[in-house]
Amino acid sequence: MNQNRRKILKALGGAGAIAAAEPYLSFPAIAQSRTLKIGIIAPKAGIVGTIGECGLRGTLFAVDRINAAGGIAGRKIELVVEEETNPKDSIERLRKLVLQDKVDCVQGIVSSGVSLAMGAVAEEMKALTIFWDGTTQDGVKETMFNPRYIFRSTDNECEAVMASLLAIKYWKGKFVTIAGINPDYSYGRNNFAAFQALLKKFGVEVKVVADQWPKVGTLDLTSHVAALKAAKPDLIFSSLLFADLPIFMKTAHGAGLMEGGTKFVFPAAGFQHTGLKKEFTPEGMIFGHNTLYFDYKDGSALQKEFVQDYVAKYKDYPHWEADRAYFAMLVYQAGVEAAQKAKNAWPSQEDIINAMEGIKVQSLGGPGHMRKDHIAEQTFYQGLTTHKNKYDFPTLGTLDIMYSEQLQKPPGMDFWKWIETAQIKL
Amino acid sequence: MTAFFDILIGGVFHAAVLFLVAAGLQLVFGVQKIVNLACGSFYALGAYFGISSVNWAIAAGLPPVSFLPVLVASGVLLGVIGPFIEALLRTVYHRDEAFQLLLTFALVLMFQDVLRFFWGANPQQLGNLSMVYGKIAIGAVQVPTYNVLVILASVLIAVGIGAFLQRTRFGRILRATAENREMSEALGVNVRRIYASVFTLGTVLGTVGGALVVPTAAASLDIPVELVVEAFAVVVIGGLGSMRGALAGALIVGLMRAAAISFYAELEILAIYLVVIVVLIARPAGLFGKPVE
Repeated sequence: MNQNRRKILKALGGAGAIAAAEPYLSFPAIAQSRTLKIGIIAPKAGIVGTIGECGLRGTLFAVDRINAAGGIAGRKIELVVEEETNPKDSIERLRKLVLQDKVDCVQGIVSSGVSLAMGAVAEEMKALTIFWDGTTQDGVKETMFNPRYIFRSTDNECEAVMASLLAIKYWKGKFVTIAGINPDYSYGRNNFAAFQALLKKFGVEVKVVADQWPKVGTLDLTSHVAALKAAKPDLIFSSLLFADLPIFMKTAHGAGLMEGGTKFVFPAAGFQHTGLKKEFTPEGMIFGHNTLYFDYKDGSALQKEFVQDYVAKYKDYPHWEADRAYFAMLVYQAGVEAAQKAKNAWPSQEDIINAMEGIKVQSLGGPGHMRKDHIAEQTFYQGLTTHKNKYDFPTLGTLDIMYSEQLQKPPGMDFWKWIETAQIKL
Repeated sequence: MTAFFDILIGGVFHAAVLFLVAAGLQLVFGVQKIVNLACGSFYALGAYFGISSVNWAIAAGLPPVSFLPVLVASGVLLGVIGPFIEALLRTVYHRDEAFQLLLTFALVLMFQDVLRFFWGANPQQLGNLSMVYGKIAIGAVQVPTYNVLVILASVLIAVGIGAFLQRTRFGRILRATAENREMSEALGVNVRRIYASVFTLGTVLGTVGGALVVPTAAASLDIPVELVVEAFAVVVIGGLGSMRGALAGALIVGLMRAAAISFYAELEILAIYLVVIVVLIARPAGLFGKPVE
């Protein structure tokens, strides 16, 4: 018994000595024999289920490519997938991934409602976490200026800013009355407010004749459409983006809202692009595809390969969540490999984080980089819709591309102040 | 005037949708005294199965214009699950209401996973199929013909159930059983069969409702909870267990919502629950409900 105890104490002492010497030692052979565990937290159900599914497919595409090429710095990736639901349960799953599954990195999160709550927990747990589409903004106000362990997506307002700029570029002087139908949470409210702030900045005087705030997931929008029709706006701005968007378009078409030359600005419609059929989605509307436009003729070989693979596997066309997920994986891969190269040994988490700051990657949708304050910068695609294509849904006849440095506030700046003072080019 | 009619049609359409959900709830409570929270799940099941049925029918060569009878048939077919679920509910007929609520809520959660298993997590839609019947245009007022058909279907169901309960022998037996179960049993009524029939009819009302409405909307896993909350506002206003109450409650909720959305969108939800509060204070049993003695 005593002998056993002595053996255990010796072993523990040995392990302690190794742990103490760890910063000075490297074990590449041992490290590379273990798979790299990456935890994914993504929605699987409800109105955001389709978003999470598309993101996960982007992750799988990235993992297949990386593993086929030998893994990240020689280590193959193993995914542990959990479901994103409400903030409380999603945080429990983050804890499970970190403490129980002992993942090396956590990626995912579509809802900023979840990432806002999860950010502080991930920081406290010192868990390297890269959000696909989540921010740590309370509305448009950043709550974590210099986090260490979490990396955020571009600000949610990027697409609203770009769509607003395009509306001004294409239609300045052609509309006087505007109406909004936006989801009733901070994303919808901030987007419509940003649109109005930009109109003001560029000297476009308008009158808001209706503003509708259906709660997310409202599946009967007949009364909302009737209210919009009654207001007779020249332009309708909508950041609807879930299953309610095709329903709105169908209902609007049925009620004749699309007749009479009303202009439409839909910055986030790309989430539902394949569900917005030509029969009820007009040509000439401003339509946002965010950071991945699947039909971009001059897109990279990588994008074309991905779209081809996606269509073959899933009989569908991808939207931007696939790009956000791919981007997150690529940023991590690039960070690990850069840190490993610099150290000539398997890097610590701190080394990886340092390397990820400012790192540039080629994502599915185009170039992107991770700012020093851990906020992503990516390429955005929007334009005017056309029916002249081989699909049963509209694509972009006129394509505008902007890098998010032109669309989001710089580190530490107030969003509204930035809109007022920024030198934004149309 | 155009705006008035647009808003009115929007309100009546929403009322029709709510009535289709609330009707099953009212029928089952009226006879069996069970608050069936799973009525929204039947509606969702009808919506999902309706989409699959239409897709199968079109793939089999039926013209798109035939989708309406396919939807109705699919909803009626789903009635087969009614007797099985009623058999489960039998275990709590004589127990506290809390048990009944817990069991029907458990059914809501189980159905959600059943829907997810068969149809996946993503919302399902029927594209633009609802527009194959075109639009009705009177001046500047335009309304899809299909929406008018849904409103008419609700009215027909309301009238049909009313006539069934008032004018048929089986309807009279149902009302007698609802009034006094023991006396009915003493007079030779097979209450077990009555309960199974009523529950199946309530199920069919939900599944047909879901199937009918889905071409204008979408089927999603959130439907059961979303709709049951609004359906409860309907039954509280109309009176629990009353079909006339369901119709009146649905109209009040639908029109209040449409008016609130048009005149002050922020009040969309508040306006409905203000009515609920007023009714609960002025007539606790609802507009057509019987006071508890």
